[in-house]
Formats: sequence, C-alpha cells, structure tokens
Amino acid sequence: MAYITGVSMINVDRHYDKGVKKLAAEASSKALEDAEPEALDYIVVSSSFTYASDTQLDLASYIASYSGFRGVRALTVEAGEASGLAAVGVAKSLIDSGLASRVLVVGVDKLSDRPTWEVYRYFSKFYDVEGEGIYSIGMGGIAGILMRLYMETFKVDRLTLAYWPALMHSNAKLNPYAMLRFAITPEKVLEAPPLADPITLLDSFPLGDGAAALVIEGSGKGNALAELVAVESATGYPSIALVEDPLRIESLERAYQRLTRKVDIKNVDVIELHDSFTIMGILELEALRLAERGKAAEAVSRGYFSLGGEGPVVNPSGGLKARGHPIGATGVYQVAEVSLQLAGEFPGLKVPESNHGLTVSVNGSGSNAYIAYLRSVR
Amino acid sequence: MTGLSVPAVWRGRIHRYRLVAGKCNSCGRIHYPPSHSCPHCGSRGLAEVELPRMGRLVSYSIVYSVPSESRSKAPVILGLVDLGVARVISEITDAGPEDISVGMQVEAVFRRITEDGETGVLVYGVKFRPVKEA
Amino acid sequence: MPQPRPETATGIHGWGVYVPRFRIKMEYIAREWGWSDSQWKALAMIEKAVAGPDEDSTTMGLEAAAYALKRAGVDPGDVGAVFFGTESKPYAVKPSATIIAEALGVTPVTMASDLEFACRAASEGLRASLGLVASGMIKYAIVIGSDTAQANPGDVLEFTASSGAAAYVVGPSSGSAAVFEGSYTYVTDTPDFWRREGSPYPRHGEGFTGEPAYFAHIIGAVRGLMDNLGFKPSDFKYAVFHQPNGRFPLKVGEMLGFKPEQLKAGIVTPLIGNTYNGSALIGLARILDNAAPGDRVLVAPFGSGAGSDAYSIIVTDAIEEKRGKAPKVDELVSKKIMIDYSTYAKFRNMIKIVRE
Repeated sequence: MAYITGVSMINVDRHYDKGVKKLAAEASSKALEDAEPEALDYIVVSSSFTYASDTQLDLASYIASYSGFRGVRALTVEAGEASGLAAVGVAKSLIDSGLASRVLVVGVDKLSDRPTWEVYRYFSKFYDVEGEGIYSIGMGGIAGILMRLYMETFKVDRLTLAYWPALMHSNAKLNPYAMLRFAITPEKVLEAPPLADPITLLDSFPLGDGAAALVIEGSGKGNALAELVAVESATGYPSIALVEDPLRIESLERAYQRLTRKVDIKNVDVIELHDSFTIMGILELEALRLAERGKAAEAVSRGYFSLGGEGPVVNPSGGLKARGHPIGATGVYQVAEVSLQLAGEFPGLKVPESNHGLTVSVNGSGSNAYIAYLRSVR
Repeated sequence: MTGLSVPAVWRGRIHRYRLVAGKCNSCGRIHYPPSHSCPHCGSRGLAEVELPRMGRLVSYSIVYSVPSESRSKAPVILGLVDLGVARVISEITDAGPEDISVGMQVEAVFRRITEDGETGVLVYGVKFRPVKEA
Repeated sequence: MPQPRPETATGIHGWGVYVPRFRIKMEYIAREWGWSDSQWKALAMIEKAVAGPDEDSTTMGLEAAAYALKRAGVDPGDVGAVFFGTESKPYAVKPSATIIAEALGVTPVTMASDLEFACRAASEGLRASLGLVASGMIKYAIVIGSDTAQANPGDVLEFTASSGAAAYVVGPSSGSAAVFEGSYTYVTDTPDFWRREGSPYPRHGEGFTGEPAYFAHIIGAVRGLMDNLGFKPSDFKYAVFHQPNGRFPLKVGEMLGFKPEQLKAGIVTPLIGNTYNGSALIGLARILDNAAPGDRVLVAPFGSGAGSDAYSIIVTDAIEEKRGKAPKVDELVSKKIMIDYSTYAKFRNMIKIVRE
C-alpha cells in the first residue's frame, strides 16, 4: 500500500531568479513541512532536461544536501518526458518492497535557462538520436506528422482538434500553478503561428520552469490525500516509422492493459494526461478507450471530457498545454493534482466527489508510457 | 557548437549514407536504422539490406520550431516516407510548403544533415525530395 | 612503328551528372549590383544553378557518381580509385573522396583523393585514371568534378559561378561506351585566377583569364593532341571545351577551326552556369546522352593557374543500352525551381551569420 501524504507545486513560470536546486528545494520543503532528515528514507528526483540545461550530474544528491537532507538515500530517475511518473513508480516500488516507508519524490526542470532555439534542439533528444533524431525535428515535428495523419485518416478537420487547447485553457484559468491562465477560442488556435504545421503554437505547451514534490508513505495514518494504488508502464517502438499504425500509442495501450489486469479500476472521475501536443492528448484518450478511434477530438469538442460532461474530466489542471510542461517535473505535478482532486482540495477547477483518478505520462511519440491509478481515501 | 560526437557520427555513416536497414531473419520485417535486435519480434538474427530509394509521402509536418543551426533551411519539412518494405522518417528537401502533399512520390538524395558549428564535423546522409516532372 | 598509346586500352563505362534544382536568372544579379544589360549579356548567359542549403560539392559529386556507376553497371568493389576534383571543398583538410567512396560502397580497398587545379582538377584525375587502368593497376576508376563555385558578390564572376557535378567511370576499353584514343596535357604557371588560403572568394585577372590563360592553354592542349594523333577538326563529330560562360567555348572552337555545329551540343553553361570542375565534363555528358556509335569527340577541360587537357574519344555500340539508365543532362537542366537573389544569397552563405 502506498499513500500520497503531502504534495506541493511551484507555479510553472519562467523562474529566472531560481536554479534547479532552489526550485526543487522549495517544492520539497513545502511538501515535507518540518520533517527531519531521519524521517525520510529516500529522495527520488525526476529530471530530464537538467542533463542538457544545467548539466548537473547526480542531481538527486545535490538536491538532497541543498534542501537540508544530507544523509538521506537519493537517486535520480530519467525517462524523458515520462520521468516524473517513472520516479513515482520507483518510489512506490521502494515502499511496496518494504525498503522504505517514507519517500520524497521531487520533479524539477528549467526550460528558461536556455534560449528557445537550444530548447528546440534538446527536444529532438526525446526521439531516437541515432534514428529520426539526427534530423531537425524541432518542437513538434513528429507530433505534426501524427496530427496530419490523424486528420487524413479519420477525416477530422483542424478546427475540431482546436477544441482541445481551448478546453485546456478554460480549465487552467483557476489553477494558481498554471502558466497560462487565460481563455482562448478554438478559432484562435488556428490563427496562431504555426509551430510544426499542422500544429500551431497554441497546440503546444509553454516553455516554463517548475518543480513539484510528493511525499509517499506506506501507511496513510489518516493524513493521506489519496492512495497510490498502482503505477504501470511499458516501452514502445523507438519510432512512429516502425509502427504499423502510428496513430496507436502501443506502449500506453500495453501499460493500461497491465494496470487493468493488476487492479480493478472503477469509474474514473478525473484524468491528468500528457498533452504535449493536442494530437498526443487525443491519441491517449483513444489508447485508454475513452473514445472510439478517430472520435476523441469530436468528443472533446462536444464537452464529453469537460467538467459536467458525460466522461471523466480530463486535465482539470489545464494539462501540459496550459499548466505547462517542465519536462521531468510534469508527471509529479499530475500526481499532485489528482491527489488533491481526490481529497477535494485542488485549488483550481474542482472535480466534485471524485474518487478514482488516472495520470498518464508519455515520452516522445510513445517510446515509454506510464500510467498511475489513484483512489480517494475519504 | 551542437555537441555532436565524432565517433557517433562515424558509427552511423553506413546506414545514413546508403539507407542500410535491418531485416529480421525470423519475422522478415525490415527496420531503419538497423538495430541490435528486431524491434518487432525481438529476434537477434538480423541481416543488412539496402532500402529502395523511391517512396511515397505518408504524412509530413512543416517545422518552424528549429534549432539555430537549421535556420537556413527553415521551415524544415519532416516526412514519414513509405518505401514499400519499410517506412522512414526523413527531412524532405528541395521543397517549400507549397510543393508538398500527402501521397506524393519522393526520392532519396544525399545531403548534409547537420554540422557541428562552423569548424566541426559535417554529417551527411540521406534525405528525400519530391520527384519532379521534367 | 609507333608504340600503341596506353589510352586505347581504356574507355568510359558510365557517366553521370548532377545539377541542383535551384536557378537564379541573370537579371536578378544584374539588378542587385547595378550591371547594365550590355555588360552581362556579352556572357551569353540565361540562368545559373544554385546548390541548396544542404548541398555541397561532396553531396553533388556523390549523386553524379552514383548515376555514373548505374550506367557503368560495375560492382563498386571493382573500383580501385575515386578522384574528386573540386575547388570548393567542404573540408579544407579531410578528403571528400572518402565520403563519396564510402557512400558508393567502394571502400576500403581503393585509392581516394581530392585534387585541386582550379577547374581542371577532375580532368587531371581522369588522365591519371587512364594510366592506372591501362597499366592494369586498377580495374575501374571513378572521376568526379564537382563545385559550388564561389564568386565575390557583385563581381562579374557572380553571373557564371554555379553549382553542379559530373562523374565518369573509367575502365578497360572492352565493354565501354566510349574508347579513349589519346590524351594530352599542357600546363604553365599563369596566375589568371586564384583563391588564397582562408579567402572566401577567388580573384581573377579579368581579360588576363582569356588570351594568355584559357585560350593559350586549350589551344596548346588541343593542337598537341591533334598533332600526336594526326587529326584535324573535321575528324571530330563534336568538340567540347571548358565553358566559363556561353561565349568562350564558341570562340576557342572557332580559333581551333571547329564549326558551330560541332560545338553547340556540348555547351550547357548558358542554362546552368559555370560549374567549374563539372563544366566541360557536363558538356561531354550531354554529348554522350545523344551521340551515336562511331562518333569521335574532342573534350578539353581547362583550369586556371593554368592548364588544359585534351582527349579524343570514340563512341561505341555499348552507349545505347547505357543511356537510359540514369537521368540525361537535359532532364536535369529542365527540373528547376526559380529563386530570387536573397534566397540565393542565403543558400550560398553570402549572408553573414554569427553562429551561436
């Protein structure tokens, strides 16, 4: 059994005045309040972009000492964009195995420490650097290929796909930790500058810095926000060129299958998923069978995944699109957000009486996929 | 400086230059670039095959969000190319956004893919371009 | 009895050309730099080919060589030399020939080197190949001439300096598409055109590139060859010369006693510009695209500094089945994308960029 007993998030933004360690330390302190180093068995740090931007190696140990926890066991987990949930998975394993009873997971990444063109270069490293990564993938090149393929295959128009970012922006308005807290119309998405056509700037995430932390414990002791029931994952093809049907995120389908084999998932009320680009959000909804293939965008456009809709509420935080995507921290934000939803304490758009939640984290176009199932303890 | 590793550039030259792919002795499927084991069935019995040099554009993206070393060729057209026996992701060159459409015929050409700054190593390899009527 | 000439044991097994698709019209260059019409129209130029931002002499050379190998139908393993003639090397130090040899599958048991002699480096490679093949040291050689010719922006040279490549597979005379009859080289120290180490653009002696350089050396080589072989201009069906513009090859041909109809088939420069090491060799390729078995062809490349080689070749029956195996020059010339001056300037690195 593993419980989320403390969470904290730094608002995603350009924190020029704070380094990686500072952001991580602030998030950690908030999550732990006044805990003594001895009360913590492990720190699991999640960071991906740091290897490129800050270049600190063995980041976890430096975060540990910087945050006042010298002596604690610490390790860094890296799984690209899926790092955050991978770290949560490692932490849960430590708890489940009995090696630890209290683990701090802190996810951190800073995109604003590097100029945009350099960030774009690093983004291609989410893909196979010996394969398509040798080309100028930039930000969204592969997702752009998928989006056009989706539109052609399922005859979905660009405007229908623009309801996703509009919903994300609408959801993020109340989230104090979100980077973009303003509403946009679907039409506005089409008018935005192209990023990796057919993807526009408004189909993608803002480049911000963030840190989020979770305290995971083996026993709830009445103070838990939520139970972390299971974390599952699967690796996938290294390239969409190798998949027979590139519009299926095979790794996520497999991770979800593993999860449902392990636990009986009740009606899911809330999901935080990995919409690095609109098309990724749409394909993930379909991989989770929350919409028929080719129909997810249309379901989004008619409010199926909005608060008050028939389906689960998806990304009430605003998602990667509007909350932001500080790479290695994102999966940690998602678990913090869903935990707070299940405890009825999310400070943004609340999903009332939510008891079952999922978070989904995917690297690139699906080289790796993680999924977590959380349950309310109320 | 883009931080390219010279030995890594060197190791990949054969498959980049000649479109050499891996063919699985077990399931028969072909993958590019060649791997240590078949990405489909996991078998380690692989043979090397050269891919056809003509293909069809399955989908593409016009990438404006490029790193600075790619600015002179921006926007970069990134394509998913079907070569019949396998698909590859590649840059589509000698073309602007107005020249590109799904389903069009493309042919392999040998080009500079990137370079390590002004003084570093040059990376050559295959790209694709539209087949043009004379 | 005269000794048999070693050249007669050798022949052309394949030829290939690459012309980048981008073209700029002369009018754009003239307008940008304030040249009057009469000043540039004397060059008899219409358009010039411009290499794209991801092209260089190596990439174009590889494409031409791949086409030549296709026509030759030769196993890459039987190639014993790759000679790459260029004056626009992507690496100042490090051969391009090895990149091309590797991409063609010729490596590792082969000679490979980059040659420099302004526009006739490839021709020197060709002549050396004849010796290597005739002596039996190697079976086949690939000779490539390729340039992304540089010109100081605004210089009259900018009208003609262009990008393109030609390649030839040389091997034993038997089975070849054209057999060599003889060759002759004529060089002197004549500084008509040069580029100093580290300088981005060449300098030239204007009129000095003409009479004492281009004309004197080509005439020296061609007359030497004809004297050796006992030929006169009328013995040739075609004659092709280095073509720095549309006018010079006609003029040198006339000075040597050739008629315009012998010359026109080999003049490509007005449509694609002066491709430097590719110049005469692309002209020869266009002739081979159309020649009939039995046709005798004179080809004389020229390089500043200065020197010229003259070759006499006879087309064989084998040419017919080789022609269709790779794109013809006219096809390559006609596939074009027109660009304006600013795009051309960007593609050819004429805009100063501070690399981050």
